[in-house]
Amino acid sequence: MHKLIFNEWLKLFKKRSFFISYLVMMVVIGGAAYFMKILAGGEKFAMRDFVFLGLSPSGFGALTALLVMISTAGAVSKEFSQGTIKLLLIRAQSRSKILLSKYIVIFLYTVSLMLTSFVVSFIAGSLAFGAGTPSASWLDVGKVALSTLVYIEIFATITFMLGVLTRSTGITVGITMLLIMMKDMTVALLSKYAFTKYLIFTNVDLSIYAGGGSPLPGMTLGFSLAVIAAYMVLFLLLSFVTFKKRDVA
Amino acid sequence: MNEAMNKVATGPVKGAGQVVLQVNGVTKQIGQKKIVDRLSFDIQQGEIVGLLGPNGAGKTTTIRMIVGLIRMSEGDVLIKGESIKRNFAKAISHVGGIIENPEFYPYMTGYDNLKQYQRMTKGITEERIAEVVKLVGLQDAMKKRVKAYSLGMRQRLGIAQALLHNPSILILDEPTNGLDPAGIREMRDYLKRIAREEGIAILVSSHLLTEMELMCSRVIVIQEGKLVTVRTLGESTVTENKTEQVQVMLRVNDAEQAKLRLVRMEEIRVMGMAPERDQITISVRDSYIPRMIDTLRNEGIAIYRIEELKESLEDEFLKWTGGNRSA
Repeated sequence: MHKLIFNEWLKLFKKRSFFISYLVMMVVIGGAAYFMKILAGGEKFAMRDFVFLGLSPSGFGALTALLVMISTAGAVSKEFSQGTIKLLLIRAQSRSKILLSKYIVIFLYTVSLMLTSFVVSFIAGSLAFGAGTPSASWLDVGKVALSTLVYIEIFATITFMLGVLTRSTGITVGITMLLIMMKDMTVALLSKYAFTKYLIFTNVDLSIYAGGGSPLPGMTLGFSLAVIAAYMVLFLLLSFVTFKKRDVA
Repeated sequence: MNEAMNKVATGPVKGAGQVVLQVNGVTKQIGQKKIVDRLSFDIQQGEIVGLLGPNGAGKTTTIRMIVGLIRMSEGDVLIKGESIKRNFAKAISHVGGIIENPEFYPYMTGYDNLKQYQRMTKGITEERIAEVVKLVGLQDAMKKRVKAYSLGMRQRLGIAQALLHNPSILILDEPTNGLDPAGIREMRDYLKRIAREEGIAILVSSHLLTEMELMCSRVIVIQEGKLVTVRTLGESTVTENKTEQVQVMLRVNDAEQAKLRLVRMEEIRVMGMAPERDQITISVRDSYIPRMIDTLRNEGIAIYRIEELKESLEDEFLKWTGGNRSA
């Protein structure tokens, strides 16, 4: 299994575009720190607050999510469009293991990008603002990072499933972007209905609970985690069953 | 054609006779349509077998069912006795495949691509990689990205990946598609050598008939998903019925005179004549040929050549598959 995972990692790593994601991250976060310092001028802003921003789903976490989506969309569909799927699936390995190794690599890739944004925002924040007197504690930073990881993994799983179902990178990226843009609007429009709290979009951002609030009145962290788990199982089940049964013609 | 057919390597083969691949009543049904219909055949060690059929006959579907890329609706495929349905990993470990043009990760080098497949199968050593790379003559291209490979080189890398895990059978779907004549010949030579030296069975699908004739020792002809016939190629004609009509080309000193004499014989039908080359083509029963020669000699006609005109595989193929519907 570890060899399959290594294979999948190499498929990302050997691409020339691999380092571009990390570069984009450095440039955007570094640039943001620079402009915030210039524009916000005298306003008190500490390094730790900047790190918090760098990791939160409504901050640069959205950028990490975008980069993960783009890689995830191609994970399965590129094998089909390149035609490499034919040689991949005639090995002495089950299709489930091959798909699982792809899913694991997406998780590892997400973690690596988040570590990068942590390091970059730590360095950029230190240079631009210094330690100062931050309003966020390290525990807050940890919580927000964890909720961003969950947020990204939910969308990555949706993207992964769409890639398996459509076998088209373009369509997958398109639908995922549409979902991300529409999710807040959908929740807002449907908020008066009781079933809305069972929608996946209502539950994706766990960082709301960290601030003591909830996406909709009456929802709890435990409830959201249960809803997320149920959706994830469903998405993965659909992906694996489809991939296992698919005729490669 | 005759010459070419005799060139098919039929020399001694390691462990010949052992059945490597069994296709048992395999069916693929999509909706009401049966793309492949209860197809059965066996392939033995060291054999090169061609799967022939017009476009849309179900060749590709059959090949893909054998390697597990497409699920079969009914039947089973056994590779060295292991079911591809129930014991996929074990069965497929005996198979090396090239499915249409072999596609690789273009941004990786040839070596990186082979390493991908090495990691997916137990027990492939670095030495084995070097061995197959040498066999297909790609030593100098291993560090180049596959993007920069010609189609011929990609085909050779395709053979290399198929041979990596020492398979018992190679399954190739249209392996010469898009290759130039030199590339096709090279491919053919590799395959024959592999079959002879390593005792590997080879199943090839193709619609290039002359190609199959040069390469295969046996052909399986399918049409509309059903088995039409199985033919052994390059077999001598001694087993043929002595009373069967054969077509013979005669070269004589005077074709006109010969024709005048031959048309008077009831047993002979003159099929055509080329006076400028002193040739005459007739249809006659095998057993009647000595008498015909005597008669011509008595007329004072000198005979320089008597050649049988054999049907080519193409002619036979068109006959089997009803010609007009074929590709």
